[in-house]
Amino acid sequence: MKAEMAAPFAEIVQNEQEYLTRIASQGKRMIGYFCTYTPLELIHAMGFLPVRITGSSRRAEKAYSLMPSFICPYMRGVLEKGLCGDYGFLSGIVQGYTCDAACGMVNIWEENIGGSLFYSLPLPYNDSPGSREFMRARLRDLAGKLESLGGRYSEEALNASVALYENIRTALLDLYDMRYRGALPLSAAAFLQVILAGFIASPEDYLRMIRELMSSLDRESDQQRGGVPLLVSGSIIENPRFFEIIEDRGGRVIADDLCTGYRGLQPPAGSGVDAMDALIDRFMKRFPCPSRIRAVERLPLLLDLLQASGARGVLFLLQKFCTPHLADHPMLYREMNARGIPSLEVEIEESLDVDGQFLTRIESFLEILR
Amino acid sequence: MEQPTKSKKRLATAKELSAIIIEYYRECNQARIEGRPVGWMPPMNGAIEIFYAMGLQPVFPENWSPICAAFGLTPENFRVTEQMGYSQDLCGYLRNINGYVHGLMKQGGGPLGGLPEPDIIISPGAGCIPVMKIFHILEERFPDAKVFRADLPQVAVEDIQEDHLRYAVDEIRRLIDFLAETTGRRLDYDRLEEVVILSDRACELWDEIMAFRKSIPTPFSAAEIGIMFVMVTRQGTRTAVDYLTRVRDEVRERSRAGIGVIENERVRLFWDNIPPWFNMGLLNYFEGAGGVMVAETYSAAWSLRLNVKNPIEALAMKSLMSYPMVSCVSIKKRKEMVLRACRDYHIDGAILHSNKSCHPITLGQMDIKRALENELGIPSLVIDGDHMDERNFSLAQFQTRADAFMEMLLSKK
Repeated sequence: MKAEMAAPFAEIVQNEQEYLTRIASQGKRMIGYFCTYTPLELIHAMGFLPVRITGSSRRAEKAYSLMPSFICPYMRGVLEKGLCGDYGFLSGIVQGYTCDAACGMVNIWEENIGGSLFYSLPLPYNDSPGSREFMRARLRDLAGKLESLGGRYSEEALNASVALYENIRTALLDLYDMRYRGALPLSAAAFLQVILAGFIASPEDYLRMIRELMSSLDRESDQQRGGVPLLVSGSIIENPRFFEIIEDRGGRVIADDLCTGYRGLQPPAGSGVDAMDALIDRFMKRFPCPSRIRAVERLPLLLDLLQASGARGVLFLLQKFCTPHLADHPMLYREMNARGIPSLEVEIEESLDVDGQFLTRIESFLEILR
Repeated sequence: MEQPTKSKKRLATAKELSAIIIEYYRECNQARIEGRPVGWMPPMNGAIEIFYAMGLQPVFPENWSPICAAFGLTPENFRVTEQMGYSQDLCGYLRNINGYVHGLMKQGGGPLGGLPEPDIIISPGAGCIPVMKIFHILEERFPDAKVFRADLPQVAVEDIQEDHLRYAVDEIRRLIDFLAETTGRRLDYDRLEEVVILSDRACELWDEIMAFRKSIPTPFSAAEIGIMFVMVTRQGTRTAVDYLTRVRDEVRERSRAGIGVIENERVRLFWDNIPPWFNMGLLNYFEGAGGVMVAETYSAAWSLRLNVKNPIEALAMKSLMSYPMVSCVSIKKRKEMVLRACRDYHIDGAILHSNKSCHPITLGQMDIKRALENELGIPSLVIDGDHMDERNFSLAQFQTRADAFMEMLLSKK
């Protein structure tokens, strides 16, 4: 394990606020988002840095005064950080409508924390010429709103941003390929830091960092890592401790279906007659979040991932109260079980101390898989 | 300790409702026998008018949940769902209907003749996530049903623009084509116009009825809100208009005669969020101390008018508006609506039901609470509960807190 290779990424994650405050002090304006369905390329092309608002690292206190206890820990942490002033540098929030909690949070943030722009982008559920045309109209509307904040739209800039994000995603997917081949000398915890840094860093810096990482990996070369290969499915995982425990106990996270992972990367880009078209095309072809699609349609994608990666079991690591994932889980469990694929469901609570029950359950699960 | 109760109704017309409910479900089952295509769909959109105009039978699984709650079937439905591995943290509507279609329905049971199997499923890409997931489950449960994958943008009412409307209109047209192809029935646009006129008339009557609640004392309370059954299941029919006309007449009469819900109305209350269907008697609870639940958020979903000159566009607009008006798509709008209602209905205190089964309505309640206090000086009581699952509700805790709240409100009088 070469944790030090991921050190520059971990440093950004651990010093998120200092990093972003420094960028803000240089006059860069930032737009926050919760979900990877947000059109980052457009926000970036118009001169803003899109920053994913993180949350799970913070224990909620103030947040309870504004939201009930039965909303996912991620959103509670997000609100806590917002209320503590951690994101004072944001000009606003743009969010693709995925889950109800995120939609509510855009509103609560606007009411209680403030900013200049709060925009929930309605995302089509169907792919058709009409839905693409509608999405184009909405993206144009969003561009108009960003212009009112001083942003500037140009086709050239959007082309460049689409290409930049494509390069990032392609590079990260190369790392996934290496992981499937057992040739990625990074622990899952370290790899998570690489991914998380991408939600904070400017994409230009981030691409450079990934390329540096890849060249150092080439030099190091690798021998196969051991451990029982697992696929981890869920929404947001921010705490690397989950992965440390899995790998300390003899598991190996080889693939994922996470929005802090593979789901936000595939495909790296779309195609179309112009950059906006390509953006829409990518959205339509995305490796889907359960909030957007039926469990029965996710199943074959997960089976493909299992096959491609060689994972022998699935760990459903779900945010407590996360309706899209919880509603899909029984069907996915049943179908996996019918195919002889063992799976385990663990719900992430707010507690930052994940060792206790998680450790016991993962040990038993790995025992079954050995 | 008091046991769960049904709500106490004072309107004679509210008591007529059970006959309308029975007749509706009889018609649903009769449709299956007669070969009239049955479609399961979410409520609060324009599909209902299209169905009635085409002579098809709409069925609303979401509405079935309050029926199951009223008949005490929810615990069994939850048991079935939880045995299938579903989390208790999921919306109670989802857990109830899933349990029903995989349990009682398979055994041919259920009250009111049960639900007829669907020939068609209108599966929404719209509204809240639990509703979408409910329909995904139903698609799997009824593999022979033809599925229409609807798509409607979730947009704040105040932000609806031309492109939202155009897309929603296209979706309504696509639905009409789908139904024609699936059922072999063509839509008669003159008939649709009649249906939309009836639907709009129902909305107009709804607003008229709600307006009488401004009277002091109020002629009826949230305990009678079951009358919205006709807005959910019968919009676009003569049945809804005739029934609501009778309700309006009775409410008007009571208002003119100064007849209140209770003899001495001392405190006027507002209910936010879906009521606890398993214990509707809670809406009467405050009456012992002189409190009447004068108004509620949920009725706003039908407080919209339809442009009868352009039926398709009217249905598209209705489809776009209903869900955002009662959810967290725009907390600003909901806050504005609650404040307006509390002002118009002369409310003294608000009960905010922190509803574990409904995240979209519960999110933003604290902002509404603060606005009520700051802008209108109206205090609120937050109660923890669930619109379907009584395991998430403590009656004793509710009573203690409700009593203290009433005491405080009375001391201000």
